[in-house]
Order: sequence, then structure tokens, then C-alpha cells
Amino acid sequence: MRRARSLLASLLPGLVSAAGVTVYVILLMSVESQAGVVALLAAGVLAVLAAARFGAVARVARAFAEQENYLNLMVILAVLAVTGFFYEDHFVLLMVTTVIVYVIACLGLNLQFGYSGVLNFAGAAFFGIGCYTAAVLTMNTPVPHLVVLLAGGVMAAVIGSLLILPVLRTRSHYSAVVTIAFSLLFKIFLEVNDTLGGPQGLRVAGMNVLGWEFNDDIEIGEDFEAAFYVSYAVVGLILLVLAFALVRRLERSWIGLNMDAVRLDETAAACFGLSIVRWKITAFTLGNFLIGVAGAFYAMMIGFIAPTNFTFGDSLILVSIVLLGGMGNPWGLVVATVILIIVPEKLQAIQEYRFLLFAALVILILLFRPAGLLPRQLRTYLPGWQPR
Amino acid sequence: MDVGLFSQYVMNGLMLGMMYALVAVGFTLFFGVMDIINFSHGDVLTVGAFAGLATYLGLVEIGVSWPPAQVAIVLAVAIVCTAGLGAIVAKYLVLPLKDAPALNTLLLTLMLGTVLHEAIRLFYPLGANPQRFPSLLPTDAYTFGNFTLRIDNMMLLLAGTAVIVGIHLLINKTKLGLAIRAVAQDSETAKTMGINFTLIVLITFAIGSGLAAFAGILHGLYYSEINFAMGLLLGVIGFSSAIVGGLGNIYGAIIGGFLFAALQTIGVLAMPFASAYKDVFAFGVIILIMAWRPTGLIREKISERV
Amino acid sequence: MTSIRFKLLAAVAAVLMLGLGSTTSGAKEKVKVGFIGPLTGGTSANGLGGRNASDLAVRLRNADPNAKHEYELIVLDDECKPNIGVQAATKLGANKDVIAAATHYCSAVAITTVDIYHKFGLPIIVWGAVLPAITYGNTYKEVHRVNGTMINQNETAAKFMTGLGYKTWAIIHDTTDYGKGHDEFFTKYVTENGGKILGRFGVTSDQQDFSAELTKIKSLGPDVLYFGGLTPIGVRIRAQMEKLGLKAQFEGTSGIVSDTFIKGSGELAEGVVAFKEGAPTEKLPGGKVFIDQYNKQGYGEPPEAYGAFAFAAMNLILDTIEAVGPDRKKVREALNKVDGVDSIIGKIAFDDHGQNTIALITKYVVQDGKWTVWGESEYATGKRKLKGM
Repeated sequence: MRRARSLLASLLPGLVSAAGVTVYVILLMSVESQAGVVALLAAGVLAVLAAARFGAVARVARAFAEQENYLNLMVILAVLAVTGFFYEDHFVLLMVTTVIVYVIACLGLNLQFGYSGVLNFAGAAFFGIGCYTAAVLTMNTPVPHLVVLLAGGVMAAVIGSLLILPVLRTRSHYSAVVTIAFSLLFKIFLEVNDTLGGPQGLRVAGMNVLGWEFNDDIEIGEDFEAAFYVSYAVVGLILLVLAFALVRRLERSWIGLNMDAVRLDETAAACFGLSIVRWKITAFTLGNFLIGVAGAFYAMMIGFIAPTNFTFGDSLILVSIVLLGGMGNPWGLVVATVILIIVPEKLQAIQEYRFLLFAALVILILLFRPAGLLPRQLRTYLPGWQPR
Repeated sequence: MDVGLFSQYVMNGLMLGMMYALVAVGFTLFFGVMDIINFSHGDVLTVGAFAGLATYLGLVEIGVSWPPAQVAIVLAVAIVCTAGLGAIVAKYLVLPLKDAPALNTLLLTLMLGTVLHEAIRLFYPLGANPQRFPSLLPTDAYTFGNFTLRIDNMMLLLAGTAVIVGIHLLINKTKLGLAIRAVAQDSETAKTMGINFTLIVLITFAIGSGLAAFAGILHGLYYSEINFAMGLLLGVIGFSSAIVGGLGNIYGAIIGGFLFAALQTIGVLAMPFASAYKDVFAFGVIILIMAWRPTGLIREKISERV
Repeated sequence: MTSIRFKLLAAVAAVLMLGLGSTTSGAKEKVKVGFIGPLTGGTSANGLGGRNASDLAVRLRNADPNAKHEYELIVLDDECKPNIGVQAATKLGANKDVIAAATHYCSAVAITTVDIYHKFGLPIIVWGAVLPAITYGNTYKEVHRVNGTMINQNETAAKFMTGLGYKTWAIIHDTTDYGKGHDEFFTKYVTENGGKILGRFGVTSDQQDFSAELTKIKSLGPDVLYFGGLTPIGVRIRAQMEKLGLKAQFEGTSGIVSDTFIKGSGELAEGVVAFKEGAPTEKLPGGKVFIDQYNKQGYGEPPEAYGAFAFAAMNLILDTIEAVGPDRKKVREALNKVDGVDSIIGKIAFDDHGQNTIALITKYVVQDGKWTVWGESEYATGKRKLKGM
């Protein structure tokens, strides 16, 4: 009994915050008017500032660290709650699923430079490889669509391996230029070559798993009808949970420890007999795989892809998410993705001014939260272990 | 290929290379003193070009119509504007992030670039459209077969060379240059030797950004057209050039700039019916060079301190 | 579920009402219509022009005391990117209050979103994208287009130019669907008419320097340089031709028929020829009114080449809603039957693919800093001469 109570007590901050955020997101998605959006955003910022001021943020973080399994479940339920709430609203579900896709892709990037310090400014290019793989496979072959997801990831990893040599040999800014060049090269290549649709892009078939057609609205009985995006949201969530679990497991394992060592000090890591090359290749390939899977899924959802989706600018958005979220912290990614994907969309009301405001917002975050919104905590070697 | 045509290609490549080199030198200067990549550099160039255009329009309004005076004033105003902008950026955005990871500064300057070019697009009158840049230099041309030599292009090329030589002298022969080099090599030691670190950083940013304005005006005079997005690709190419040449080394930046221009020109020549692939070719070669020479063509001399 | 949802929304609505105060007049039924175009990025000049023109159509209608409904325009940005376009289209399509929309300048976006409009049954009229497949690639009843396709444009262009006596061409096209399509159709028609293409060069739409391509073209020595692309790089190419001493006649497509091109090129624009679908706005009934009204509203940006189309598309939507009432299906059916309706771009008639079939192509030449209809120019009378004639 007492144990149950203490469990509840330690869970409470996490539960309250998860519930609060869920309600907030639902409100944000429901509001249409410009003033409403601005008011809600301002209220959100104030609430977080106030929470930080009174130590609530630290308590929430602690709750998440201590009772991770329960609270992970809570977050999954929260996403399902949002999905359920908007079950017939196509647009909101599209946005929710887009956020999920971006989080998966950013988990990949997080493996690369959050853990192992391998810079990748070509995130959108690898995402694009996944998309184009999906387009080619779904339209021209009968490959089952779940396999297409994997194929997208494998393709991204394989093409990424072309870059392994220059990426391994170069460091910091020099390695940045390798991926930047690749990112530009990829987009120009797609635009000028005709076999992959050129600038026009390619059509992608909607997802179909075991006869379940994702692009049809869901109808149950006479009067229940849900938007077809519900299917995508649910599958996206499953993918996200898998990716999240994978990244978390890796981080907690000795592999994650090795990757951290490689990032923090290559020379020292090498002195202790760690193979820098092996861990960098592992992180780079695995990261690209995740990004590619996200791309393949996204392509099947959107139904049409074109090179303009995969510009250097899009890669930068991915990098911004990882950075703003707090490098190496998967939870930070979720928060940052919501901000970077939903807020510009919600700011449609200010039309041509939104990029200006958006860029200014990112600058402010960087100036005042240089370590990101949710900086990575110290490694927890044991569940519930707290550094003192 | 006949001589005239060949000379024309060389001339084109030189002009392009000059512009890339000027941008790349800016990147290298910033990297030298602060170990950061200032990605707003390309958009600072755009700001310089637009400041120059606005000045020109202002001059026409008040009746200054003697071209040499126009060129001088346009250049002066543009350079002062961006130099000031550069110093402000350094003071309020770059220096406060001195101890943050390099990636933060990179992202911050990128976003600053977005703010700059979006501001031009939205607040310069009809800023979303390409703007005509006036021809302020004599436009006489001499034709030798397939080669057209224009006086203005020649002057631009000479001016660019002069500026690069000037920067070289400034860095290597003056006391200020010595201070910049000292900060670049070891800012801690430089500080203990009584060098005002903050001041040197601000001055370096002002110089680099002023160079960007010069490159912007050069761009305007050469192409007779400027637009709000011109800095984006120019910035990325300038950055790539600086890296390929070897960061922190102005000769590397210059070599990188001309190399990139050469690659693009060769791309068109070598693939006559696939000219659209020339940038794919150029960037592909850049990746290969990086694999071959991981710290640029001119290697950094200092070994890593552990 | 629904009752909770309702309460929440009601709470939010109440909060917002407090803050805003309501401004509904209450007299007329409020009807929402949509506009999508590129409001940010490189082609934003056209998107903003189209946005303003649509906005003008709505404002004029709301000022009209005889109008049955009060209209509200929902404007969304597609950034000229297909994925963002899908978001915007889904947003409009899923919002049942939106009855119809004028959408898209960029062909790559339009071709992506037509499926979505079909799925949601939202009738739309494309106001700027020229790719033939947008209307001809499907049989969707929801999709219409007021502007012509690039096929008509290039047929006229090829006949006209070969008729003037030009024999050889070099082509520069941007690598978007717009440029590639123009390359394809112009090559087809010009070869049929006995012309010869000496070389073709694809360039990206953000390219700054064309000296390598132009030098190559100079060595090929064509009579005409055909450019298939939009104003920004058109301006650059025209200026760089001059720098390299390339003396060929410059021929463009609808993408450069804009005031921006002339402003950007200055005196170099003189004698440039280009072709655009539709009659010149100021020559048509109502066209003058459009220009006057547009200027009166004090928009920050000019209407650009496709502003008139956006205006016509939006006006057609509003007329249809006035006639059949705010109902998507009825509006769709009514739009499908549009045949010979007067507008500021000439008569509009949709074929069974929803494509406006009145393929009037106007030939333009720049004379003294103005796009002048060829027949009225001094070039036609022989007083001035195109290059190489």
C-alpha cells in the first residue's frame, strides 16, 4: 500500500505534466483565429517559464527519470488521446503524424551527432532517399509495404555508406562541408535527372498492409467514420515507439557509452582501445537507416514527393530540432519538433511574415537556452539512480 | 576550341572565382579569430548589395550623376553598413555564445541569415523581385573573334585583386593584422599579451562583412541584377571554398574559390548536353577532395592540443 | 467524446470572444473561400500578386450590396513545395466551411494536390500552374483551370517566330516542370515548322551565373535564344547575354511577361518577345476596372502576370456560389458547366477535364519599357527591327 502510494507520488509530476501538455496541444490544434494562436503560444511560454521558476520542471524531469516505463506509456496514451480527439479531422491528424515522422528522423540524427558526434547536414537528403525508394517500390513492384519501410531505411544506409570515407577522415567543420555538399548535390541531382521524375517528383502509392487500405476513411458501423490519417498516426506511433526504444536501449547500453566516449574525446577514447571508426560507422549507418524509414513512411502518407522537399534548408530544420531539443535527449526532440513543425503552420495567419518570426524565435531560444530546451541529463546507469 | 572561346571561359571563371574567393576569405577570417562558421555571411553580402542599390537611388534623387563619384559613395556606404552589421552580429550574437557548442553558433547565424534576407524580401520596396543594378562603369567592349573583353569586367577583376592583396597586406604587414593573427592562433595567450580580444573580434567581423559588401556590389555590377536570395548559394559555395582551401588560411580560401569556379566551368564544358549537372559535378569533386585531404588543400599547421 | 469536445471548444471560443469582440454583421450568411499560392520563397512575387488579386475579388464582392453572401478569404502558403502544398490543401479540404478555392502557381505543387481536392470534394480553380497533366492527367470533376497550358503557348510561339524568318535556336530552360515542359513543346513545334535547335541547356531555378552556358551558346551562333523559365533568372540571363556580347534575339515564355522583367532588365528589355495566354488585361471588358481597383486598394505588390487569372478564378468562384448557393457539390457541378463566361481574361469555357479551352495566345514585344501587343508595336510595322532581321 505504502509502496503504491509512493509510486503514485513520484509519478504525479509526470502525470500532471503529460496531461497538461496533452490538453494544451489539443487546444492549440483547435484554435483557428490568429489572436487565439498568439494568446495560446504566449500562455504556453509563460507557463513553462513559471514552472521553471518554481522548480516544477526539475520535478517533472526527475519523475521521468525515475519512473520511465510508466511515463513512457503515459506519453503514448497522450498521443493516442490527441489522435482520438481529432479522429475525424484530417488536417490535425496529418500534422500529428508529420510530427511523429520528424521525431523518428531526428532520433536518427540524434544517434549521429547527439551521441557519436558525427555531423550530418544532409538529413533531408537521406530522408529523400527513403521517400524515393518508397515511390519506386510501391509504384513499380508488388513489394509488401512494411518491407518498403525497411527498404527505405536500408537504401539510405547504403547510399550513406558512400560518404563514410570522407566523413570519417574529416572533423568538425570539415566534415560539415562533406554532408552540406552531399545535401546540395542530392537535390540538384533529383532536379536534373528525368528517370526519378525530375523537379516534377513522383507519385507514391498509399500504404496497404495485409489488405488494410490506409488511404480510405475508416468506417465502423453506420455512423462512425474516422479520417484515414488515423491509420497513419497509429502506425507512425508504433514506428516511433520502436525507434525510441531502440535509441534508448542503445544509449543505455555499453554501445551508447562507447559512442559518448567517441564524441567527447576521440583521442582519449582511442587510447582506451575503443575503435573510433567502428562506432562512427555504426552511428552514421544506423542513423541514416532510421531517417530513411521515416522518409519511406512519410512518402506513402503524403502520396507525392518532389525534390523541393529535400533541400539544404530542410536538412537544417532537422538539425535545428535536435539542437533546440537539447542534443542527445530524445524527449527534447519531441518538444522541439512540435515547436518547429506546428508553430510555423499555426502562424499561417501571418502569411508571408512567418519565416521571419520563426527565425527570430529560434535565435532567441539559442541565446537564452544555449543547451536546448531540455538538455540531456547525466547518464543514469541504474533506473532511479540520481547523481548527488 | 578556338583561342577566343577559351579566353572567354577563362575570363568567366576568373570573375566567378573572384566573387567566391572574396566570400570565402570572410569565412576564413571569422573562423580564424573565433573558430566559428558565420553562415549569415552570404546574406550580409545581400544586405551590402541592397544597401549599395538604395544609396545609388538616393544619389540619383539628389542629383549626383558623375559615375566615379557614384561608385565611390555606393561602395563606401555599403561597406560601412555591413561592417557595422558584422560588428553588431559579433557583439550581440556570436560573442555571447562563445562557450556554447560550435553547432549553436552555426545554427544561430543561419537563422540570422534567414532574418536578413526575409527582411529584405518583405521590407525593401518590391524586395521579392529581382532588382536592376545600374551599370556604373564604362561599358566599352573589345571583340577578338569569340572573345568579348569588357572594360567594366576588367576593372572589376582588377579591383577584386587589389582588395585581396590589400587584405593580405593588412593581415601580414600591419600591427592590427598581427593582433588578428595572434588571436587566431591562441586567444588566451593573446589576451595575456595585452591584446583587446573583444575589440579584435569586432574589427575582424567588420572587415569580413565589409568584404561581403564589396563582393555584393561586385556581383551587382557584373550581373546587373541583385535579388534577396542571391546570398544563399553564394554563402554555401563560399563556405565550401574556404573549407576546401583549408580554414583559417586566406590563401586556401582564395584557391578554394577559384577552384570551385573552375569546376563549374569545366562541368559545362565537359558535359555539353548535361550542363545542369555541373553543380552535381562540382560538389561531387568537393566531397572527393575532402576524402583525399581531410583538412583542406592547405593543411592547418597547428596540431591538435589534447 | 463529442460533448467533451464541444465544451472544450466552447470554452476556447468564449475566451477568444472576450479577447476579440465579435465583428459579424449578422445580416448575411458568411461563406468561406480559399486561396493557396507561394507567399514565401523565390516565386513569392507571383504568389503575393495572386493573393492580392483574389483578395480584391472578395473585397469588391463584399462591397457589393446585391451580393447574397458575405465572403471570407482564407489564404494559405504552399511555399512552392509539394509537401507544404499537401498540408495546405488538406487544411482547406478538411474544413467543410470552405466552399471552393483558387489554388497554386507552381505546377509541382498543383499536380500533387489535385488528388486531395478530389478526395475531399473541394472544387478548385488553378490560377497559375501551366503543366498540362494538372487537368489532363486525371478526370477529377473538382479540378479546373482558367489559364492555358504551355502547349497552346508554344504552338503559337513556334509558328510566329519561324514565320518571321528565324531559322536556328538555342534553348535555356529551368529544370522545373515549367521549363522542361516549355523545352519539350517548343522543340516539337519549332521542328515541325522547319526550325532547328542547336543546343539546349537546363539550369536550376536558383542559379546566378550563366556565363558558361551563354559562352557555349555564343559559339553555336543561333538566331534566337529561347528561354523557358520565370522572371528572376530571365532577368539574369538577359543581362549576362549583353556582358558576353551574345547578339541573338531573346524570346521568352509567359513566365517573363511581367513588369518585374522590364524593371529588372532596364533598357536591355527592348525588343524581347514573349507569349502569354489570354488577351491583355487592359484590352478586355473589366480589365481596366481591375487595374484601377487594384491600385486603389494600395496593395504592397503589383499583380504580376497571373494576378488577372487569380482574380478571374476567384470571381468565377464567387459568381458560382452566388448562383447555386454555398454547397461544394453544387458549385462543382456548376463550374463543370461553365461555357463562355465573360471575365477579365476573356471568355472562359471548361472542357470535360476542367481546362479552359479558350486558347487565345497574345504575342508581346517590349517597346519603350512596356509589354506591347505585337500587332500594335513598331516592330510589326517595320519601323523597328528585332535582332538579326
